Amino acid sequence: MSQSPAPSGSALTAEVKAVIGVSAEKIEASLPWGIEREGLRIFTQAIMDPDPRYWDDAFAKTTKFGAVITPPIYCTYLGRRTPPGSEDPITRAFTENPNSDGIGGVRDTESRGRLPGVPTHLKRILNAGNAIELRQYPKLGDRVFSQAKYADIKERVGKDGSQMLIVTTETVYTNQNDEVLCILRASQIRR
Amino acid sequence: MTTAQELREKKQTYFDDIAVGHQFAPLVIGPLTPTHLFRWSAAIENWHRIHYDQSFAVYHEGLPNILGQGSWKQSILPRYLKDLCLPDGWPWKVTFQHRAMIVPGDTLTVWAAVTKKYEEEGLGFLDLDVGMRLQYDTETCPGKATIVLPLRNGRAIPYPFVPPKKLVGE
Repeated sequence: MSQSPAPSGSALTAEVKAVIGVSAEKIEASLPWGIEREGLRIFTQAIMDPDPRYWDDAFAKTTKFGAVITPPIYCTYLGRRTPPGSEDPITRAFTENPNSDGIGGVRDTESRGRLPGVPTHLKRILNAGNAIELRQYPKLGDRVFSQAKYADIKERVGKDGSQMLIVTTETVYTNQNDEVLCILRASQIRR
Repeated sequence: MTTAQELREKKQTYFDDIAVGHQFAPLVIGPLTPTHLFRWSAAIENWHRIHYDQSFAVYHEGLPNILGQGSWKQSILPRYLKDLCLPDGWPWKVTFQHRAMIVPGDTLTVWAAVTKKYEEEGLGFLDLDVGMRLQYDTETCPGKATIVLPLRNGRAIPYPFVPPKKLVGE
């Protein structure tokens, strides 16, 4: 996709507008064995949530959920995991750049499910906030799928008169029955 | 911190019993240590060195210390709302922004206050102001949320949750 070079005009060019509504490929975010106990234990301890609904089968069966569940947005982190058998992204990143920040080169391993770039000259990216909508919690054994799209792009002018774009992506997480688990809307400022 | 036993035995809060202005009991987490931050990075395989490599964070990136992860904060707010709703309510939606940095030594107070209440399709909806306040009162994650609580003698909240058509898109 070509890149708009014209910082003097509107940053919301026809090329930028054209990506609104563009969806990425739907991918399986979970590893092939789905939601499993050990990953769940590590995650729930990291958010310091001792809820027995995450580990006590007998108790979980008595709840409205009927089974062991995951924390509210657990499914949104599954896609970060490195599948077994993959080239080690950490070794590769630091071989290529001994001063790697731990992101550059590491996350480039997996391009499946990614949205195309926004064709803009505005390169600086800031997190502008998130919106999360919950429909149900995944259960042990569930497989989780995700699909991202550009939901909206708006133009704003900074206090100093600089151009900005507010880029909002929407990622829908579903289970193996295509039921919606949660919807994550993330907004970034591009300036 | 909340214990497993407290979450196991939690009694339902009903919509009828909550007034606008109500402040829910806060969740206090901390002081955070570098080990807490590293545990989160490992849990979600986020290898950005500013979260666990102090020399890199300070001398290469010019930061005051290693930084707490926005993704961790993003998990804590829904977790807190989940706890408020247990056992049969539903933490429908939450929006928030990332503001002040979190560093080791910080203690966070997660809070929620009711700004509006309304009924729809026999369910009780509470709009909330939410956030995560640092020990020196700086708000690091201001936001808004909507949770669903049952009415006394009302119908059960559907699970999976189906939002009332009138409220979708608001």
